[in-house]
Amino acid sequence: MAELLKVIFEHEGIFLHPSPDEGGPEQDLLVSGTLRVLEKDAEILVEYRPLEDSVDPSNMLCAGQDSSSVVEWAQCPGEKSQSRQQLETQQSYETEWDMVNAISFRKKNCTNGEGSLNHSQERSRWAFSVNISDLKSITVKDEGWTFLILKLKDAFSSLPALHFHQGGSKDFLDCLRRFALLTECPEDKTCLMVSTPNRALSQSFENLLDDNNFGLVHKFKRDPYVATLGSFSKVTNYIYDALRGAEEQQQRPPEEVADLLGEVIPGLEINQQEEPGFEVITRIDLGARPRVSRAEPLSADDWSKHQDPEGRMKDEATLRQKIFKGGLCHAVRKEAWKFLLGYYPWSSTLEERKSVLKAKTDEYFRMKLQWKSISEEQERRNSRLRDYRSLIEKDVNRTDRTNRFYEGLNNPGLTLLHDILMTYCMYDFDLGYVQGMSDLLSPILYVMENEVDAFWCFVSFMDQMHQNFEEQMQGMKTQLIQLSTLLRLLDLAFWNYLESQESGYLYFCFRWLLIRFKRELSFQDVLRLWEVMWTGLPCQNFHLLICCAILDSEKQKIMEENYGFNEILKHINELAMKLDVEEILQKAEGICLQIHSCKDLPHSISSILGFDAKRQVPNQAGLGGAPRPAPQQDACSNGHCRESRPQNSCRGVSTS
Amino acid sequence: MTARKSLLKVILLGDGGVGKSSIMNRYVTNKFDAHLFHTIGVEFLNKTLEVDGSQVTLQIWDTAGQERFRSLRTPFYRGSDCCLLTFSVDDNQSFLNLSNWKKEFIYYADVKEPENFPFVVLGNKVDVTERQVSAEEARMWCQENGDYPYFETSAKDATNVAVAFEEAVHRALAADDKADHLIPTDTVKLHRKPRSATACCS
Ligand SMILES: Nc1nc2c(ncn2[C@@H]2O[C@H](COP(=O)(O)OP(=O)(O)O)[C@@H](O)[C@H]2O)c(=O)[nH]1
Ligand SMILES: [Mg+2]
Repeated sequence: MAELLKVIFEHEGIFLHPSPDEGGPEQDLLVSGTLRVLEKDAEILVEYRPLEDSVDPSNMLCAGQDSSSVVEWAQCPGEKSQSRQQLETQQSYETEWDMVNAISFRKKNCTNGEGSLNHSQERSRWAFSVNISDLKSITVKDEGWTFLILKLKDAFSSLPALHFHQGGSKDFLDCLRRFALLTECPEDKTCLMVSTPNRALSQSFENLLDDNNFGLVHKFKRDPYVATLGSFSKVTNYIYDALRGAEEQQQRPPEEVADLLGEVIPGLEINQQEEPGFEVITRIDLGARPRVSRAEPLSADDWSKHQDPEGRMKDEATLRQKIFKGGLCHAVRKEAWKFLLGYYPWSSTLEERKSVLKAKTDEYFRMKLQWKSISEEQERRNSRLRDYRSLIEKDVNRTDRTNRFYEGLNNPGLTLLHDILMTYCMYDFDLGYVQGMSDLLSPILYVMENEVDAFWCFVSFMDQMHQNFEEQMQGMKTQLIQLSTLLRLLDLAFWNYLESQESGYLYFCFRWLLIRFKRELSFQDVLRLWEVMWTGLPCQNFHLLICCAILDSEKQKIMEENYGFNEILKHINELAMKLDVEEILQKAEGICLQIHSCKDLPHSISSILGFDAKRQVPNQAGLGGAPRPAPQQDACSNGHCRESRPQNSCRGVSTS
Repeated sequence: MTARKSLLKVILLGDGGVGKSSIMNRYVTNKFDAHLFHTIGVEFLNKTLEVDGSQVTLQIWDTAGQERFRSLRTPFYRGSDCCLLTFSVDDNQSFLNLSNWKKEFIYYADVKEPENFPFVVLGNKVDVTERQVSAEEARMWCQENGDYPYFETSAKDATNVAVAFEEAVHRALAADDKADHLIPTDTVKLHRKPRSATACCS
């Protein structure tokens, strides 16, 4: 399952005072670090992590520019925060490990190993993570500052005292009180006994019985406390796990992989770590899915009928609608795509477009000249440009090579692809070239058959796709979260199944989203799909509904065959070139109408699809006109768990 | 000693363009597709083979090499039984980057004993005449870095591809046997994720 990690409490400047024997060679060691209370996979953990440099500041992980250490790889200057994240990822494996023992104070000094690993081990020597339910007591002492001694139920293990030199002990205890009962020990007033009640167990069972679509209620394999803090879908996991239990050993790697991916897509946690019952609120009765039909592609005749004598395109809305419904005949594409992509304004005259073209042509060649005129000498000193160029050269040779426009050796199409991508690096040097961009350019260049037009249309398309390719790939993360949110509304049973197979964050849709199905469909079908998407109809983020439509078709197979994490990934990867574009579009439009006509749509959903704004849904007059009141509390329409949800619990599904 | 593994996860790592995907395809489908796309995301293929009279499924993982995608690539390193470090003999930079790939792998796969982990090194594209890396250089590197087996392969004409994977399988199984001997069963449990933090209901 995806890693669910929420920081509930955090306080820096908590010190450990290891005794000399624990401190090893470093006498008088004071370890400074951060104390956190975390909710992770629906468990409450108390975690302590020393500051990175508290062991030895000279061990900072930033090696020199051309050091070959992997940590340095992760840490180019200016990418500090990113690499810190990665370090945390590394550390959290250890946390997992640690929980096996219920305690995890590391006493073993790890010596061998390579530099970078050594540092993190050095640090994690003082790190610990304990499940709150494994805590027995907390003793509160004062020596001019407060320090706490945490005792574990397991009498054989102990944790170091936590010294709150900079305050915060009271907040920490208050935070724990939210999840556990702290009662004064009668014999010792400074000692608080910790107990963790089994909250809402019965309620969770109710949901389980009620919601279980598979009739598989067998047994909980897990601590009921954990299960009930988790959501319904988590509970389902345990059922699947119980069924697949024998294979646990074999299942482990995918599970770890999934956990790590969950950390990489952190936004998802916000989504999933909603209070108990979040899934339940999205179980709104969706009405039947309307059947819609597709139309014929817009013909050249039709297109020219929409043009006035000066060349303005009349009745843009109808045009868009027609293109949405049937796409374009190939002959119209070269012109129509320029409007769809915003290179030409719909209302521009032929004259105006001529002058746009002239200006754009000048601008293009000015930028092209920039990289063309860089000498080898200069390029030797420009590693980023060199890297972009080398990647582009490699990828151009591996993009659509079976297409006649790019096939064979020395095909001019390849040179154009290369030159446009290089020029794009000059247009947006920060982004430069990222793998996947050649896939986005290739169909555009194929349609435009013209370097300048293709470049500017590509620029427009990249404006939409930019975030996917940025350093942090925020666009990808956001989309995966949104997709997960939509899928949960549409098909909770399937979503739960995916969750139970560690696939709830839908990583397997990565390629679909990164390059908008470019590799999933035949070249001609990609052209059709893209022009339909560029109309902006019938709703915002329609491509996410296309994902839902494809998944809907694969659901049966995936669930019947009981595919696990790896098999799902493989199955989805292997759908490439087997999909029918018209069928997908039809289904996706049906889904859009189905969601749109649903009452009490959660705000999270309507904002992903842009239903809050006034938008007309095609062919369903009267549906899309009125803005829908943004449901707040009433989003919990099926009334399952309203009481367990705090007021703000409808928020938090990330939307953009 | 526990039963031998019947599923082995093998991962191909190396710079973009060295031929990882082509090698995988050559081995699994015995084809070379000169029109292959560059990899986006993560893919894997299975191949079943017989080792010492029993069936072993080889799960071969292939990833995209670009820096930008590292965070979505590295989680898949976990649980690998063998890593095939790949470079191209006509690209010196890809050879120089081998140690980066090795480190990245060890770091993210969370290999507990890197010295004992089975790596196999592939110098691909030996069919190409303009070499930038000599076989001696490559062997030297392998020797100095942990005595790794080295194969000069060509996905294009199939040279040494199957042999290299078979060696990977043997190394992985040997490492697995060794681990079974050395690590008491307790420790094996330690590696496992806490499915049940505190057992309660059953
Ligand atoms: N001559 C030759 N070319 C190869 C060989 N293996 C791969 N290639 C080519 O090298 C390029 C990169 O291969 P690819 O498998 O995509 O590399 P990857 O990025 O490492 O997966 C492609 O154009 C392949 O056709 C080989 O053994 N010999
Ligand atoms: Mg590849």
